[in-house]
Amino acid sequence: MMSSPASPSIGPLGIEEWVGELAAGLGMTLYLYFTALIIGFALGLLLALARQYGGRISSRIATGYIDLIRGTPLLAQLFLIYTMPYSLNAWLSPDGPPVINTRWSFQLLGLTYLNFPILASIVALGLNSAAYQAEYMRGAMASLGTGQVLAAQSLGMTKHEIFRYVIIPQAFRRMIPSWSNEASYLPKYTVIATFVSVEDLFGKAKLVVARTFLALETYILVGVVYLILITIIARILDKLYEKTKIPGL
Amino acid sequence: MSDIVLRVEDVWKSFGDLQVLRGISFDVAESEVKVIFGPSGSGKSTLLRCINYLDPPDKGEIYLRGKRLGDPDTDINKIRSRIGFVFQHFNLFAHLKAIDNVAIGPEKVLGLSKEEARERAMRALKHVKMDKWADHYPAQLSGGQQQRVGIARALAMETDVILFDEPTSALDPELIGEVLQTMLDIAKEGTTMVVVTHEMGFARSVADEMIFIDGGVIVERGTPHHFFTSPESERVQQFLHKLDELYGQTRDERRTIAERDQE
Repeated sequence: MMSSPASPSIGPLGIEEWVGELAAGLGMTLYLYFTALIIGFALGLLLALARQYGGRISSRIATGYIDLIRGTPLLAQLFLIYTMPYSLNAWLSPDGPPVINTRWSFQLLGLTYLNFPILASIVALGLNSAAYQAEYMRGAMASLGTGQVLAAQSLGMTKHEIFRYVIIPQAFRRMIPSWSNEASYLPKYTVIATFVSVEDLFGKAKLVVARTFLALETYILVGVVYLILITIIARILDKLYEKTKIPGL
Repeated sequence: MSDIVLRVEDVWKSFGDLQVLRGISFDVAESEVKVIFGPSGSGKSTLLRCINYLDPPDKGEIYLRGKRLGDPDTDINKIRSRIGFVFQHFNLFAHLKAIDNVAIGPEKVLGLSKEEARERAMRALKHVKMDKWADHYPAQLSGGQQQRVGIARALAMETDVILFDEPTSALDPELIGEVLQTMLDIAKEGTTMVVVTHEMGFARSVADEMIFIDGGVIVERGTPHHFFTSPESERVQQFLHKLDELYGQTRDERRTIAERDQE
């Protein structure tokens, strides 16, 4: 938890002594962002492959999942995941000790890097992001056309080899511009973790405001931090797009 | 006969209500060049796709060196690696350089080492006179050059037979020549080929047998000499006349332009 500042503030913003706390919040935001982005990427790829190239059943399951996730609020998804063990405990053992433990945490060097609220946030963000990332990937795959797949088949490649050597290398390149939407939305969506008591950048900002009443200064500072973060992500992806572009195309 | 490479036996294929192939049969012998032609929509491309099971036939059998395709115990991918395919629209892998387009099959499908595969790919590219362009991406090449890489990709697999699906019909007239020359070269070296084409000059010079298909059936078959001197059916006569009108005229026009240039 937060420690009170030793001396009254003397910076132009008045919140300078809280910068360490806000930096810790930024660390948590980045952590939620990257883990959710990676989980969403891996699951999104599976969903996209299932939807674009899967059989009837697997493509329907993938489509159903994507529709469900995109059709319901992210915050509701998080609350569903977060409250599930508590609801199950109440149902499984109404009077006895809880069956599912939600009080565990993993700490290292004084930092909590995983506990139940953080896990619930990562899972909710990752599952949600997967649905959006899947659609960007599927769009890129659909734009490839069937000619190259036929050529790969006629060489005798297996389905797996066709994905690995023909479809995925090109789909990844093609999806970067549209996928950068998701990559720059997701840092902002991580603020939902605040609602389940995770101290991300936004959560820390709320605490600072509660302590100092300097709402305008704090929220402007935090807004600028998000802006810088997302600008950096966008620039990196632009560079990556240019660097991996296929010559002549 | 032991030197039969490919046997097509009573192949039928329909898409929905549309009967595309209605009982096609022929054999392709070692080093034979078979030319298949006919009006568009007659089922030529579908036939080629049936041969390597990209579109499995509804009825009928395909045998490659006596091995029946579609048998539960034959690995279709293994068989396909022994049947080359050259596409009308080249279908090169856009993210790979010419050399890698050609090497990927030998390396990933045939299991050659990276060096061996690249060596073999380079030989194939030399064969089609594209070795100087090995490090170019498909989008940096002309249509004719892309198609020659497509042919090299099939050659590098050292297949039993190569199927050509209208390999020049997507090309500008001035690029057709280089592709046809490449095909003539490999035909003369004894490559077993099944070629769907309207290039009657090519057929005339290297085809061992020509097959005219219309409405999903073989209407007439015979040597080039037979077709160009005494085709039997009226349908074939009409078709050849049309081709001659179209290509013959342009050839004459080209000649007159050349003559005019000389004056």
